[in-house]
Amino acid sequence: MARLARLADSRLLIPVRLLGLTALAFVAVGIFLLLFGKNPLAAYRAIFAGAFGSTYGLSEVVVRAIPLMLCAAATAIPARIGLLNVGGEGQLHAGAMAATWGALTLGFLPRAALLPGLVALGLLGGAAAALVPAVLRWAAGVNETISTLLLNYVIVLLVEYVVRGPWKDPLSYNWPFTPEFSDSARLGLYWGTRIHAGLWFALVAIALFYFVLRRTRWGYEVRVIGDNPEAAVRAGIPLGRYILLTMCAGGALAGLAGMAEVCAIQSRLRPGISTGFGYTGFLVSWLALHHPLGIVAMAVLLGVLSVGGDQVQISLGLPYATVNIIMALIFFVVLGSRFRAARTA
Amino acid sequence: MLASVLEGGIRAGTPILYATLGEVIAERAGIVNLGVEGAILVGACAGFITTAQTQSPLLGIAAAALAGGAASLVHAFMVVTVRANQIASGLALMFLCLGVTSFVGRPYVAVKINAVAPLAVPGLSDLPVVGRLLFSHDVLVYGAYLLAPLIWLILFYTKWGLALRAVGERQAVAFASGLPTAVVQYAAVVCGGVLAGVAGAHLSLAYARSWVEGMSNGRGFIAVALVIFATWHPLRAVLGAVIFGAVFALQLQIQARGVALSPYFLDMTPYLLTLVGLLLLARAQRHTMPEGLKEVFEGLK
Amino acid sequence: MRRTVLALALIGGVFGLLLAGDTAARAQAKKFIVGFVYVGPKDDYGYNYEHDRGRKAVEAKLGSVEVLTAENIPETAEVERVMEQMIQKGAKLLFPTSYGYLDPAINVGKRHPDVVLMHAGGFKHSANVGTYWGYIYNPMYLAGLAAGKVTKTNTIGFVAAHPIPQTLQNINALTYGARSVNPKIQTRVIYTGEWCNPGKAAEAANALIDLGADVLSQHQDCPRPVVETAAKRNVFSVGYHSADLQKFNPKGWITGAAWNWGPLYVRIVQDVMEGKADRWVNTHARGGLESGYVELAPFGTAVPRAVQQAVLARRKEIVDGKYVVFQGPMKDNKGTVLLKEGAKPSFDFIEKMSWYTEGVVGDVPR
Repeated sequence: MARLARLADSRLLIPVRLLGLTALAFVAVGIFLLLFGKNPLAAYRAIFAGAFGSTYGLSEVVVRAIPLMLCAAATAIPARIGLLNVGGEGQLHAGAMAATWGALTLGFLPRAALLPGLVALGLLGGAAAALVPAVLRWAAGVNETISTLLLNYVIVLLVEYVVRGPWKDPLSYNWPFTPEFSDSARLGLYWGTRIHAGLWFALVAIALFYFVLRRTRWGYEVRVIGDNPEAAVRAGIPLGRYILLTMCAGGALAGLAGMAEVCAIQSRLRPGISTGFGYTGFLVSWLALHHPLGIVAMAVLLGVLSVGGDQVQISLGLPYATVNIIMALIFFVVLGSRFRAARTA
Repeated sequence: MLASVLEGGIRAGTPILYATLGEVIAERAGIVNLGVEGAILVGACAGFITTAQTQSPLLGIAAAALAGGAASLVHAFMVVTVRANQIASGLALMFLCLGVTSFVGRPYVAVKINAVAPLAVPGLSDLPVVGRLLFSHDVLVYGAYLLAPLIWLILFYTKWGLALRAVGERQAVAFASGLPTAVVQYAAVVCGGVLAGVAGAHLSLAYARSWVEGMSNGRGFIAVALVIFATWHPLRAVLGAVIFGAVFALQLQIQARGVALSPYFLDMTPYLLTLVGLLLLARAQRHTMPEGLKEVFEGLK
Repeated sequence: MRRTVLALALIGGVFGLLLAGDTAARAQAKKFIVGFVYVGPKDDYGYNYEHDRGRKAVEAKLGSVEVLTAENIPETAEVERVMEQMIQKGAKLLFPTSYGYLDPAINVGKRHPDVVLMHAGGFKHSANVGTYWGYIYNPMYLAGLAAGKVTKTNTIGFVAAHPIPQTLQNINALTYGARSVNPKIQTRVIYTGEWCNPGKAAEAANALIDLGADVLSQHQDCPRPVVETAAKRNVFSVGYHSADLQKFNPKGWITGAAWNWGPLYVRIVQDVMEGKADRWVNTHARGGLESGYVELAPFGTAVPRAVQQAVLARRKEIVDGKYVVFQGPMKDNKGTVLLKEGAKPSFDFIEKMSWYTEGVVGDVPR
């Protein structure tokens, strides 16, 4: 019996328990829907059919999971030393803006030279956007949650400004977007779907995150800070450097998500390149307990919900908000469950 | 020009002031609640639905307050009882409220309601300049600016206020001296939610007079930032809210006066200003920050 | 542990059932399926409300049509997926009704050559994508004729979302109309930067009234806050999008510019069903009062009889082709002549509008 209890608490079972909690959230939402006279099974069937009923649905789950994975990493990396980066949305837009600048000014370069440059610009843009709150936190003690939230608004507005002002496509009849990128600036799409090379970026980023965290000195020090920041300082670990480092690494990945969105999905910069990917990414990271592998799983789960959410509306006339409720409840249940403090990996 | 900017500031600052005051109470007890963004939405939605059903804006305001309080109860449970991360729980609450209100409020988008009417203060509203500036608003506007000194008095000159601050400063000491710290924190968070709910009521019942999903548009987040800006003081919160409201109004009025500045640039100013305020006042803030919050705001994890 | 296994089994079972149910649902009788995608709620008394009235007309007139709708779909990559999912459900004709849906519509069109997509207001078309738009600035101009006579402060306030050509057409038409009967008219414009942000729209309306405007009009998706603020502060309203807005400011209602998509939608759906889609794709369908795409809303009691008759007389001249809104001479508010005396505005002159006419305060923000 005692062995069973230990097993139930062991790390190996965490995914299983997460799944159980997710199911719990579905039940709760089911009750909510019943209260409003809607059939929850029909709603879940629609979500399921939307995401798994066709290869297109499946491919869209992946398309959606790409920015979510990267934005989740943007939250998870700083979270490993206890920083709460809610700025994924702004960092994504900053990365998109930087990549757009590259695509518009260096569009004449051949693909092999341009694309790596755009990737670098995306990373840099996101990192720059994260550097501001990181420096504010490090130098003046300004709380990073608040500053990243405020910066989200600023950066999104900056995108609105450039696409309607200096970068507006002169041939667009005054419509708010930049000129279309040249072919050399576009990421490849695969298999006739919208799945794009951003998938490899995301997977490599997650794998690197996992590797650095577990196998390098940086990762070790990050884990030490995460466990006990005071002890870390006493042990001579430079806390400030890690604040800057983790925030910028996170921001860079969100920026990469932005780069992938403009270079693969949109092929130009315009308002509305993200439907709250930054915020949903924050959710993904927390659902995954900031664990790299968990992020992949949870990004896919939320991808399923988003893609399925359209079906809920098209087939049943239920508001898309239904899936937002499901997402929020899963978040609550996981947050409230006992292993919230568990630090894995 | 100055008068109309101030007038706009008072008007636009009202929902933010309610939410900020509520957050001051919660944070003085050592709890940060980013879920105010959600509580505002819940208040706006519940207030609108109740008014639509009963034709009574007064009942609507009451319902908004109740709903805001109820929503924040979830946060209180999560952080006080379950001891979940405050920031994450607040954001979770925001997501939940956004979803629930979009769902529940959906049938009411088209409904016309009996809105909260402006109420000129007899005698005073005829005064030159100040009459229009201060005394020709709706009840909820007056309420917000009267509430601020009241909360200040309660926080700093009553036993309750002392207990609340004690819990926020030194929870362990407060607990050891026999204060029911959990109860105090629950009460503070719920009070904060009630005020956020009223903020929502002002938005949907008096200001925009309609319900649209997500209509809080980040006002709750602004409130959380303004609390720090106001160094956890209800009277300085008035200043913060009016300044924020005035900048918001100013950027609209500048346009109407024909200054060709990009509206998107102008829109950034309130957020940038808040950020700069946080930076400049960082030292003062750290000084007055309730001890209990240091863990949330400055601690790692 | 046992509980977990049980829960897993349960989830698996439910998913299985769901899948079975879904395949069953697909084997239904075939109807002609039309999909409508809206950027906001379909009963906002604004842009989306009017498109949805068009959808209702299709359902009422054409019994053999099944309609799919999706609302609150942001102008992002999401909309492409929503359209794809509608096509998967068998839709053969789609109405992506929002401004920002143009590129996604073209993309979806490329992947599904057998589906027809009709975009509202776009400036690009393709082999199976057409656009349609109503010259709603025509009734806006007519409303200006009434507003110019009704205003006491000679100031019109205009709350707009974004400085795009369609919005500038409306601002200019309203101002031009008002100035033609009252040369003292000034129009002040505020951009909120968002298609629907009720709080900001309300504050913008208040700010305009504070600056002396006693007629408020607008161009954004959710018009209620502006009209209700006008009612609250006892000023006049020129409606936009929907004639049904009158009930939110009955006392101060002048008139308004309203969409009338029903007949057009019925015609498009019928044609596509009968295999005559080529009438609509690869082209821009444009029409004004004469085509019935747009309409002048009923007058409110604030407008004197004589003014109403004068406006209706001008309306008839437009319908009969005797008067063209924005015919020369047209000057911008810097005095530059853009269209010479007697010249008629071209398609590009209208669709690329990027200036303010005389009487509008300030410059178009860049």
